[in-house]
Amino acid sequence: MHARLIHRFLQCLLVAFCLTVTLLATDLRAADDLRTMVNALGGGNFQQNQKQVEALAKTGDPRIVPALEALSEGDLYQRKADGTVFIVKPAGSNFTLIDAVTGDAAGEEAKAALEKIKVNNGLRRTIRAALGGLTLMSPDTGVRLQAANTILRTPSADALDGLDAALAAETDGTVRAVLEKARAASVLVSDRPVDEKKAAVATVVETGGRDSLSLLSAALATADESLRPDIEAGITKIEDRQALWAAGQNVWYGLSLGSVLLLAAIGLAITFGVMGIINMAHGEMVMLGAYTTFVVQQIIRTSFPGLFDWSLAIALPLAFLVTGVVGLAIERGIIRFLYGRPLETLLATWGVSLILQQAVRSIFGPTNQEVGNPSWMSGAFDLGGMTITWNRMWIIVFSLAVFAFLLFLLKRTPMGLQMRAVTQNRRMASSMGIRTPWVDALTFALGSGIAGIAGVALSQIDNVSPNLGQGYIIDSFMVVVFGGVGNLWGTLVGAFTLGILNKFLEPYAGAVLGKILVLVLIILFIQKRPRGLFALKGRAVEA
Amino acid sequence: MITSFVLKALDRNIVWVTALLLVIAALVPALNLMTAPDHPLHIPTYIVSLVGKYLTYALLALALDLVWGFCGILSLGHAAFFALGGYAMGMYLMRQIGARGSYGNPLLPDFMVFLNWKELPWFWYGFDMFWFAALMAVLVPGLLGFVFGWFAFRSRVNGVYLSIITQAMTFALLLAFFRNDMGFGGNNGLTDFKDILGFNIQSNGTRSALFAASAIALALSLVITSGIVRSKYGKVLIGVRDAESRTRFLGYRVEHMKLFAFTVSAMMAGVAGALYVPQVGIINPGEFEPANSIEVVIWTAVGGRGTLIGPIVGAILVNGGKSIFTAAFPEFWLFALGGLFVVVTLFLPRGIVGTARQVIERRREYRKVRQAEAARAIAAEPQAAE
Amino acid sequence: MNTLASNAKPTSILYLDGVSVSFDGFKALNSLSFVIEPGELRAIIGPNGAGKTTMMDIITGKTRPDSGEVFFKGTVDLTQKDEAEIAQLGIGRKFQKPTVFESHTVWDNLELALNRKRGVFSTLFYRLTAEDKERIEEILSTVRLTNRKDDYAANLSHGQKQWLEIGMLLAQEPELLLVDEPVAGMTDAETTETALLLKEIAKTRSVVVVEHDMGFIRDLGVKVTCLAEGSVLAEGSIDFVSADPKVIENYLGR
Repeated sequence: MHARLIHRFLQCLLVAFCLTVTLLATDLRAADDLRTMVNALGGGNFQQNQKQVEALAKTGDPRIVPALEALSEGDLYQRKADGTVFIVKPAGSNFTLIDAVTGDAAGEEAKAALEKIKVNNGLRRTIRAALGGLTLMSPDTGVRLQAANTILRTPSADALDGLDAALAAETDGTVRAVLEKARAASVLVSDRPVDEKKAAVATVVETGGRDSLSLLSAALATADESLRPDIEAGITKIEDRQALWAAGQNVWYGLSLGSVLLLAAIGLAITFGVMGIINMAHGEMVMLGAYTTFVVQQIIRTSFPGLFDWSLAIALPLAFLVTGVVGLAIERGIIRFLYGRPLETLLATWGVSLILQQAVRSIFGPTNQEVGNPSWMSGAFDLGGMTITWNRMWIIVFSLAVFAFLLFLLKRTPMGLQMRAVTQNRRMASSMGIRTPWVDALTFALGSGIAGIAGVALSQIDNVSPNLGQGYIIDSFMVVVFGGVGNLWGTLVGAFTLGILNKFLEPYAGAVLGKILVLVLIILFIQKRPRGLFALKGRAVEA
Repeated sequence: MITSFVLKALDRNIVWVTALLLVIAALVPALNLMTAPDHPLHIPTYIVSLVGKYLTYALLALALDLVWGFCGILSLGHAAFFALGGYAMGMYLMRQIGARGSYGNPLLPDFMVFLNWKELPWFWYGFDMFWFAALMAVLVPGLLGFVFGWFAFRSRVNGVYLSIITQAMTFALLLAFFRNDMGFGGNNGLTDFKDILGFNIQSNGTRSALFAASAIALALSLVITSGIVRSKYGKVLIGVRDAESRTRFLGYRVEHMKLFAFTVSAMMAGVAGALYVPQVGIINPGEFEPANSIEVVIWTAVGGRGTLIGPIVGAILVNGGKSIFTAAFPEFWLFALGGLFVVVTLFLPRGIVGTARQVIERRREYRKVRQAEAARAIAAEPQAAE
Repeated sequence: MNTLASNAKPTSILYLDGVSVSFDGFKALNSLSFVIEPGELRAIIGPNGAGKTTMMDIITGKTRPDSGEVFFKGTVDLTQKDEAEIAQLGIGRKFQKPTVFESHTVWDNLELALNRKRGVFSTLFYRLTAEDKERIEEILSTVRLTNRKDDYAANLSHGQKQWLEIGMLLAQEPELLLVDEPVAGMTDAETTETALLLKEIAKTRSVVVVEHDMGFIRDLGVKVTCLAEGSVLAEGSIDFVSADPKVIENYLGR
C-alpha cells in the first residue's frame, strides 16, 4: 500500500520535473529566437524589415511588443559593435539602453556607438497590424479592445489567423463584437471564398455604423460581381438604419428643445394661461432663477466645495423662493391695479422687466456668469446610434416633473381648487369666502416661482447673463398661445410639438430660417385657430 | 369731398401744431445755416440731426397711435414697418455709393462683394432711383401691414393675441435680416452712405433739408391722421375700440375698418423709417428688435394715446430724456425707462395730453354747472320776492 | 324633428328649423324651430341656459349652427353670412347689457347707426346731409334724448343707455329687431314706457323680445314662445303658455 503510494508520488514528481524542464527549455529557446529575430531588424532594408516584423508577429509572443512600438517611434537602435538591438532613451549625450526582449536595463552607451533602425510609413503600418494581432491576446480587456479596433481600422488578410485565435479565447462581449467585425473586415480584403465573404458582409451590416459604411464601400471597389449585390444591399440597409437613427436623434434634440420651451413657458401657463396676466417680466424670473443658481454655486465653491454636486438641489428651493417673492411684490405692487386691462399689464410688466435686467446688470455686471454642471449632469452616453448628454436628459426629466407637480397642485390640492375657482368665477368664489386677492397674489407668485426653478435648469445649458430672459419671452408666449390658453396639457403638447418641429426644419432650412418658419407657422396657425390647439369653446370664452 | 375731409381735420389744436411744425421746419435749418457758429441763436448741426431723428420717432408714434389709440389694436411690431421703410431708403443710399465703396465695385454694394456675390439680387433693382425707393419705403411696409392685417383681422385675432403675433412678426423679420443670405447686409446692415439725390449726406445743408422734410412729413401726417379720425370712419374706428361687437351688429365690416387703419399706419411708419435712416446714417437688423416696438408704445402712452398731439409730445419728451439721461447717468436709463412704463400705466393712463385735456374739460364742465346754478338762482330770486 | 310645415317658410320674416349647436358636448340648442311672421311682435321666455342668447347669436351670425336651417324673408340663408352682412340685410340686435359707444356723443352714436353706406371710403368721405340730420333729430325725440344729444354716452343713466341703443337700432332701419332683456335694471316707470316704445316700433317691423319679466310680457300682450334646454316648450298667448304644466315645471314653478 505504502510502496504504491510512494511509487505514485515519485512518478508524479518525475513527470512534473520533466514538464518544467521542457517548458523552461522552450522558453529559453524562444527568448533566444526572439533575440535573433529582433537583432535581424538591424541589418535589413525596409522591405526585409517588413517581413521580419511579420515573422515576429507570427510568434504571437507579447514580449516583442515594446520593441515593435519602439521601432515605430524610431527609438530602436543597433549597437554598432556587436549588432545587438536595444530600445534607447536619450540621457544627455548618451543613450540609456533597454533590452529589446526582456525590457531589463542594459547600461548606457554613447550616442555615436549606436545606429538608428530606420522606419517608414509602410513599415509603421505593418507594425501597427502586427501589434494589433499581438495585443489581441493581452490579459487586459482595454488593451484587447484597442487592438481589435486597430485591426478594424486597418483590416488585412494576415490578421485573420490571429483574429480566429483571439475569437476562440475571447470571453468579453464588447471585445468579441469588435473582433467579429474586424474579422469580417479582414475577410473582405482577403482572398477567401465568396460565401465566407458574404457572411462577412452580413456581419458588417449587422453591426452598422459609419465605419461599416466605409468598410463596405471600400470593399465594393474591389469586390467581384458575385459579391457586389450583397454589398450594395448592405450599404443601403446601413444607410437606412442610419437615417432612422438620425431621425431618432432629431426627435431627441426636439424633445430637448421642447423641454426647454416647456420649462420657460410653464410658469407663463399659470400667469398668462390661467390668470390672463400678460407678464412680460416672465423671462426675467427665469433669469433670476439662473442667477440664484450662480450665487449658490459661488458660495459653495468658496466655502463648501464638497457640496458642489448638490448645488442644484440647494438652488431649486431658493430660486423658487426668490422669484416667488419678486412675483408677489410685482403682483401686489403693480398688477393688481391693472386687472381687466391686459394691454396695460403688458406695458407695466415690460417696464418691470427692464428694471430687473438693469438691476442684475448693475449688481453682477453685463457679462456671462460661469455656472457649472454637477458631475451627474456632465458627460454623455450612447443609445444605439444616438448620443445623449446627461444634462439634456435630466432637463427633460425635470421639465416633466415640474409639469406633473403643477398639474397635481392645480387639480388635487385645495389651493389649486381655489385658484381655479377664482379664475373661473371671481365673484362667486369671493362670495363663497375665498380671499380672491390673496389667491391672485399666490397664483402669480407660484407662476413666478416656477419660472425661477426653470431658470435653475436652464442655467445648465444657457449663458447666464442679464439678457437670458429676453431670449425666452417670445418663445414662451408662442408655446402658451399655440397650446391654447388656460390649458396646461396644451402647453405641454405645444412645447414639444414646437421643439420637434423646429429641429426637423433645421436640417432643411438651417437654424435661423427654421426658427423663422416656425414663427410664421405659428402666426398662420393662430389665424386658423385663434385660441390655440386646445381651445376652450362656448359662451364663457366670449365674455 | 377731399376739402371737407381736410376742413374737418383742421380743428384749432391741429392747426396750431401743424403751423408750429412748419415754422420749425423753416426756422431750425435757417438758424443752423445762416448764423455764425458763435451766434447765440445758432443751432449746431448735431442738434438739427438729433431733433430730426425725434421728429421721425414722433411720426412713428403717431402711426402707432392711429391703430392703438383710436382702434385699440396694440401693435408690438410697428418698429418692423419703420425698419422696412428704413431699409428701402438705405438700399437707395447704398446704390448711390456706386464705385466709391472700399471695393470700388460700381454695381454691387461692398457687403455683396465681400460675400463674393457676382450679381445684384433682383430685389435690389430699381433702388438706384430715388422715386422708386421712396415708393417702396411706403409700399413695402404697407403691403406687409395689409397682408398681415388681412389674415389677422379676418380671423378675428385681437387683444393680447394680436399683440403677441405682431411681436412674433417683428422677431421673425429680425432673425431674417440678420442672415447674410437675405441680401441686406446681414448683421452690419447698410451704412457708409455718401449722398442723397446728389447732395453730400454729411453736409449741413443736406441735414437741414432732411430735418425740414421730417417736420413737413410729420405735419402732413398729422393733418391726414386728424382727417381720418375726425371723419365718420374715425368714429367707427373708435366704435370698434370701445364696442367691437356693437359696430359689427350695426353692419360695419370691422375687419375692413381695422385693415385700412393698420395699412395706413404701416405706411406712415415706413415714411418715418425712410426719413430716419439718412439722418442717423445706418440701418441694421437691430431696428427690428421687439424691444424697439414696445418703446414706441411707451412714447405714445406717455404723450397720451387716443389724442393726436400726445404721441408727438411723448416721442420727443421720452427721447429727449433718453439723450440727456444716457449722457449723464448711462447706468440708470433702463431704470428710468422701466419706471416710466410702470408709472404711466398706473398713474397716467391717459398720458400727458389726455390728462391735460381731461382737466380742461372738467373745468369747463364745472364752469357750466356754476353758470347754470347762477342762472337758476337769478331766476329763483324774483319768485322769492313775490 | 321638423315640427314646422315648410310652407310657412316663403311668407315668414324669420324661419328657424331644426337648429342645433353644442359647445364642448353641451347642447345649447337642440333642434330649435319657430317662425316669425312679418310685422309680428314676439316674446321669448325661458329659464337661464335655455338657449335664448345662443339663438340670437345664431340669427345674427355670431355663432354658426351645427345643423338646421335659418332663413330671413324665406330666401336668405343666414347661416352663410357674418354679422355685418346680416346687419346690412336689416336685422338689428340689442344686447342684454346696454352696448353703446361710450366715448361718442349721443348724436354721433346715432349718426354711426344710420343706415347708410358702411364701407371704409364711404365713411371716410361721409358728409352729414340735411336729410340725415332730420332723421337723427327724429330718432332723438322718439327715444327722448333730444336734450342730451351733445353729451357723451358714457354719462347717460342706465335706462337712457338702453333707449339710446334702441334708438340706434331704429336708425339702422331694420326689418327685424332682436331685443335681449330690454327692461333689465329699469324702474317700473321706465319699463312701462319701454313696452309702449316697443309696441310703437313693432308697428313698422317685426320684433323679437327676449325677457324674464312676466309683467312686462303681459304689458306687451303678444304671442309667447317658451324655450327650455334648447328647444321650444310651448307657444301661444301668455295665458296659454303660463298654464302649460311643462312651462310651470321648467320655469314658472321655480
